[in-house]
Amino acid sequence: MAVSPVVTYDTTSNIKVTATKAKSLAVRTNSVSNPRNGSLPEPGKGQELAERLNDETKQRYVKDKKLGEGTYAIVYLGHLRADPSSLLAIKKIKVNTEYRDGLSMDAIREVKYLQELSHPNIIALHAVFSSKNQNLNLVLEYLPLGDLEMLIKDSEGIRYGTAEVKAWMGMLGRAVWFCHENFVLHRDIKPNNLLIAADGEVKLADFGLARSFSDPYRPMTYQVITRWYRPPELLFGARFYSGAVDVWSMGTVFAELILRSPFLAGNTDVHQLELICNTIGTPTEENWPGVSKLEGFLKYDKAATIPVRGREFYLSRFGTAGPVGVDLLMSMLALDPRKRCTARQVLEHKWWSSDPRPTAKEDLPKKGGGPERMGEDLKRKGGEIEGGRGDNVARKLNFGLAKS
Amino acid sequence: MSRAPVRNGAAPRRPGDEDDICPVCKSSRYLNPSMRFLVNPECYHKMCESCVDRIFSHGPAPCPVAGCARTLRKARFRRQTFEDLHIEREVDIRRRVAGVFNKREEEFESLRDWNNYLEEVENLTWNLLQGVEVKETEKKLDAYRRQNEAEIKQNAALESQEIADSEAQFAAQKEQARLRREAARNEELDERREKEEGRREIIDMMAKGDGDADAIARESQKVILKKSTARRTAAEKSRQQAAAKVDNGAAAAPLFSIQGLKRIPQSVPEKEYDPFGGYAIKPAYYYLRDHYEHSWLDNARSDAQITAGGYDVGEYCARAIMEASGGLGVFIEDEIEGREKRVEKEVGTASAAIASGGGGEGVDGDVL
Repeated sequence: MAVSPVVTYDTTSNIKVTATKAKSLAVRTNSVSNPRNGSLPEPGKGQELAERLNDETKQRYVKDKKLGEGTYAIVYLGHLRADPSSLLAIKKIKVNTEYRDGLSMDAIREVKYLQELSHPNIIALHAVFSSKNQNLNLVLEYLPLGDLEMLIKDSEGIRYGTAEVKAWMGMLGRAVWFCHENFVLHRDIKPNNLLIAADGEVKLADFGLARSFSDPYRPMTYQVITRWYRPPELLFGARFYSGAVDVWSMGTVFAELILRSPFLAGNTDVHQLELICNTIGTPTEENWPGVSKLEGFLKYDKAATIPVRGREFYLSRFGTAGPVGVDLLMSMLALDPRKRCTARQVLEHKWWSSDPRPTAKEDLPKKGGGPERMGEDLKRKGGEIEGGRGDNVARKLNFGLAKS
Repeated sequence: MSRAPVRNGAAPRRPGDEDDICPVCKSSRYLNPSMRFLVNPECYHKMCESCVDRIFSHGPAPCPVAGCARTLRKARFRRQTFEDLHIEREVDIRRRVAGVFNKREEEFESLRDWNNYLEEVENLTWNLLQGVEVKETEKKLDAYRRQNEAEIKQNAALESQEIADSEAQFAAQKEQARLRREAARNEELDERREKEEGRREIIDMMAKGDGDADAIARESQKVILKKSTARRTAAEKSRQQAAAKVDNGAAAAPLFSIQGLKRIPQSVPEKEYDPFGGYAIKPAYYYLRDHYEHSWLDNARSDAQITAGGYDVGEYCARAIMEASGGLGVFIEDEIEGREKRVEKEVGTASAAIASGGGGEGVDGDVL
């Protein structure tokens, strides 16, 4: 991707930086920090420059204990060699049986897009290096306080209200908006990909399914996004879609935060569609022009059509968000992706300025998920629901080793 | 202060009571053992209680002391605090002045201002004490009081609050000390009782006569030791808890005030919540039109298969233009130059400077 001319104005500090540019330069300086400085032990004169640079990067980090292991990746706790008090997560991607001759797509996507995006609500990728056997290692920001799913599920121990939901949604909204503004689709937004930093900041992680916005006539796969958070257009097999898919996921996460249970938890793709029809309304040519032209569109009995739910339905189920919050939720869960609000419109909504004011990040409820939880979260491959919460997911994985 | 020794059978003496004869009615303590003397802060002439009743019961009257003749009221008569009536008077005056001039050091910008203020107040006080320019001084005092009524009240409230605070803190400390003492006493009692019990047990066991006496003694000694350590840790814990409790109490009620804090904490108005988190993304080198005409895009705009999924040609156009202008504002030459300059400094040779400077002559020409 070219260096972005999109300029970020930090309105608080008056510093003018090109977000993506700063990041790419940072990564570059990481790897070419001191090429002429021969202070490091010369790792053999015959090596190529690339290998030497890789070795230099590798030298700067130390792996400590293992935090978790899946079939896709092993996550270690690590630190900078120069500063033992620094904490990092090192995600070592295993040489996969599926991709014996190269790297897995997930790893490439993750590196490609995380390197471009630098935002307080997106997990930071500090460096990338390869270790022996051509294993790819990603040096990631260390986020020790678990993820949002843990907080949602712990309805006994953790209590939160609208102000907290607003704070979390604000952070998620900023992350998604920043991705879309840089033309990146995340395509796997769900509570357990929203990790929590030590200061309470929520960070979007797992860019294993991310891609940039597609060119016209270039089809994309519709087998993305964990099913419960998947929008109807993907369930109908649309091959041309936009950032609206992420906004739907945000909407379902919003609903889940309020309900404290998954909003639309379908067992199969068809069941998921059924749930959407029953809960939100049946997609028809009237409320979604052109929907019947989509490849996977399923014909419904005209008589069984459920009209799109009105405001009263949402108010009765999500009343705690307040009438303004319900408006926002409804616009995020519009069936027709063209009518769904964009990530920018989400942040421009008046819900943010209405009462109550979002909780400060330091005051948000915390549940020490611990480093192990981060290990669990990072080792996962995109698009899957953890065992026990739903089977037959987008891509099934063996977690035999993980539960040790 | 020297006090008259307490005489047998009489009520405890207060300062001023040691005179035995009332200067007004000349009645003596011999005739009236419970005689008490009162003064009026108007003139500080001493007289006995019965004189005060007699002379002033029917309203204000002139002082009976020869050559005084100030009008006195009964309500203002009181017992004296100090033996020396001059001191009594000085303290009264100082109290009155301090009640009006009750500014506080933290209200002044510098120590010098504060000292100047104190000096001025002392001058006024001294004038009143010595009876110099009393009228003018009183006028000044009155004028100041009228001008700064609100402030005076506020500072007075602050002061009384401070006094209450320190008293409460003192009481809390006392309470804590009492608890500590009590705990220590209980502990000691417990220990003694347990020792006693242990000894009795040993004797009992020995009396039963099963086993070696030495072994029994050793075993029981161990048990006693264990018990006493357990008790000690428990006592330590409860002591800490008590201390924490007192601390918490102190924090809840304003028992102590921290010096150097502003009296009225300025509440900082909360900044408005920015949903964008301080970021604003705007294209810097181009502007985006709503619609870009291109025949290649027409189909993508009209084909239901493409549009129904939410695909937006506008987003593609935005990305295309962004990528086309990508790299603008990134000046690789400058970056390389900057890097080389750094290297130059490190190397520091003249030849390198000429080589990278692009010809030293040109630079000279510019300067000349």
